[in-house]
Amino acid sequence: MRKFLAVVKHEYKKVVLKWSFLIGTLLLPFLAACFAVVPAVIFSLKGEPTRIVIADPTGKISPRLKANLSVEQMDARARRAAEKSLEDLTQTPEAQTQRGTEQFSESFEFIDYPTGGALTTTIRSELNSMLVNGQADAYLIIPEDINSEEASFEFRSRKAGDFVGGNFRDALNDAVRSQRLSDANISEKRLAELSQDVNFDAKGIDERGEERNTGGTIVASFVIGLMIYITLAIYGQAIMGAVVEEKETRIAEILFSSARPFELMMGKLVGVGLAGLTQLGIWVASAAIIISVVALQTDLSAVVGALPAISPLMIFYFLVFFLLGFFIYASIFALIGSMVTTVQEGGQFAFPPIMLMLIGFYFSFAVVRDPNSDLSFWVSIAPFFAPITMPVRILSETPPFWQIGLSFVINAVAIAGLIWLASRVYRVGMLMYGKRATIPEVWKWIRQA
Amino acid sequence: MAEHNVTLRVRDVSKRFGDFSAVEDLSFEVKAGRVFGFLGPNGAGKTTTIRMIVGITVPDEGSIELFGQKISHALQDRIGYLPEERGLYKKMKIVDQLRYFAELKGVSSADAEKKMDFWLERMNLGEWKKKKTTDLSKGMQQKVQFISTVMHDPDLLILDEPFSGLDPLNVEFLIDVISEFKTQDKTIIFSTHLMETAEKLCHDILLINKARKVISGSLREVKESYGRNLIAVRLTGGEGVLADPNLVSKQTEHADEVILHLTDGTSPQTLLRKLIDDGAVISKFEQVEASLNDIFIDKIRGSHESDL
Repeated sequence: MRKFLAVVKHEYKKVVLKWSFLIGTLLLPFLAACFAVVPAVIFSLKGEPTRIVIADPTGKISPRLKANLSVEQMDARARRAAEKSLEDLTQTPEAQTQRGTEQFSESFEFIDYPTGGALTTTIRSELNSMLVNGQADAYLIIPEDINSEEASFEFRSRKAGDFVGGNFRDALNDAVRSQRLSDANISEKRLAELSQDVNFDAKGIDERGEERNTGGTIVASFVIGLMIYITLAIYGQAIMGAVVEEKETRIAEILFSSARPFELMMGKLVGVGLAGLTQLGIWVASAAIIISVVALQTDLSAVVGALPAISPLMIFYFLVFFLLGFFIYASIFALIGSMVTTVQEGGQFAFPPIMLMLIGFYFSFAVVRDPNSDLSFWVSIAPFFAPITMPVRILSETPPFWQIGLSFVINAVAIAGLIWLASRVYRVGMLMYGKRATIPEVWKWIRQA
Repeated sequence: MAEHNVTLRVRDVSKRFGDFSAVEDLSFEVKAGRVFGFLGPNGAGKTTTIRMIVGITVPDEGSIELFGQKISHALQDRIGYLPEERGLYKKMKIVDQLRYFAELKGVSSADAEKKMDFWLERMNLGEWKKKKTTDLSKGMQQKVQFISTVMHDPDLLILDEPFSGLDPLNVEFLIDVISEFKTQDKTIIFSTHLMETAEKLCHDILLINKARKVISGSLREVKESYGRNLIAVRLTGGEGVLADPNLVSKQTEHADEVILHLTDGTSPQTLLRKLIDDGAVISKFEQVEASLNDIFIDKIRGSHESDL
């Protein structure tokens, strides 16, 4: 026991007292913040105004369009788009890009073009030459009869059409629609009332039938899943590196002549696991502090208010499932580490466990979408996936306790089995120098030991 | 009672890896307070045997007794083992690794600190305490490894090729340190290829080859049983006598002398008389002992020839 504790202490200090631990602890939240903030910052940058020539023979559309494209209107539109993107993280990349461009606050500069009854073809060629000469970036020719079914609004642009087009088309549609209604003798006041957006009040219902905000829950679940996935990947590979180092430098020979291989391996797993727990603890604590400080001081309180209520019990569950995941993956990595001869070789074999983690992480999207589906149930009790998916599910909508308990038991049994396997491979593999062990050889060690 | 006489007793030990037999039916004893030379060519089974003694692996057959008890993990703390293939944590401070190795041998952290300081000073490494392995020369690293072997004050020291990679000065230095252990009544098992060093240090030897014992006993016994019939001569003439296969079985030319292997039943006196009768001019005629090196080469070569 004393030797086991010596190993735990040694492994813990080896990880925690390194610069990389401090940097990793600070850097990961910073990167996560960048991930969240940078796109918003970039999208809030205003591009150069688009100079649009409007040829409006009716003289009625142009003022409405200008009003719709005013700075205030565009900002409101951008804000709506940003809110939507926060709510729906699981959309396709194309939709995300689309939304991103919508978040771009555009600005327009209008140049009126007096049509004076000229032919459309004349106007078109004249406007084309303005574009070519760089006097304008785009033009819009409004047909004389906007109510006709064949009426076509010609928009030509030298800027990437899609980006300008989307918002512009919406604004134009609105302008024309209002004009048509106005033509149908509906007063401007009535028009404003009619075109008011509906107040769409979307909320989830929890298991007790009470209303709750889901937007923040989705973000938080996603963050928890990501955090566990990254920590597992980092610390799992740290274990592999430590095992390979002792094999490569032949320190194993000295260690094995001093303590039981099982003590040595378990000490390593526990020591590195505690280091991972320390890092997670620092993150959780600092997140709690930052959120409470921010909530007090800024108008982000709305966002914070949307975060799910995270109880101490939930945090306890997260840490428990992190540890389950850690021991599952760490024993696999320890097994790989004792099979191979160099860290580089280990890197190639690290693919299968990393893949398993990644699948678990992807399943967490399905869990976020529908925490009560059959799929969510199965992936949150399955070994290898549960350490990532169960915390996500607990946060999305805490399942009945028996499911959490079942998941715990199944994964604990998986850990016992994996550690049994790993310790057998470890005690033989660590003393085999020179060449990488083949799978049949490893199988023989497992049976013989 | 047994503990006072015999530190290690290996009985009928065999170890196989698949079809390969690494150690076959090996028995020997190492007496307390003696230096025991464990000799043999590469691949003879030395490291496998040592690994079984220090509890890294277990024998397939046979038994090993240490300090009068069956070997166990508890006894590991009383052994200091310097493996042939050895290393240190690359990016860790010397002080941290030595403390860790000592703790693994059951030494308390505070105690380890004291012993470490003593040994680092002793090995002239005091100022390197806070440095990392990568800052040290290979020779210094060897010394640090030696410290990790002796720091917990073991009763049995097992040194597998302790001098490899050391310059002659450091070899002498290390021999001095090992000699001190000799006087402290500790038992030392010393495995090496360097026969000259073995000859200087060892009381008893065991030579193994191809998993089996070849010879064992005290250095004196082994040499005497082997080297009674060797004569070093320097002479002119007498070629006819030397060429007689009834008298001389083998001649080995050295730089300024010839070593003659007498046949059984030929005494040095007989040979000397015959040479004088033959008119040879003799400037040297000396009965010599075989060196351990000669015995080693002869025995190993002999066992290889018997295979053919």
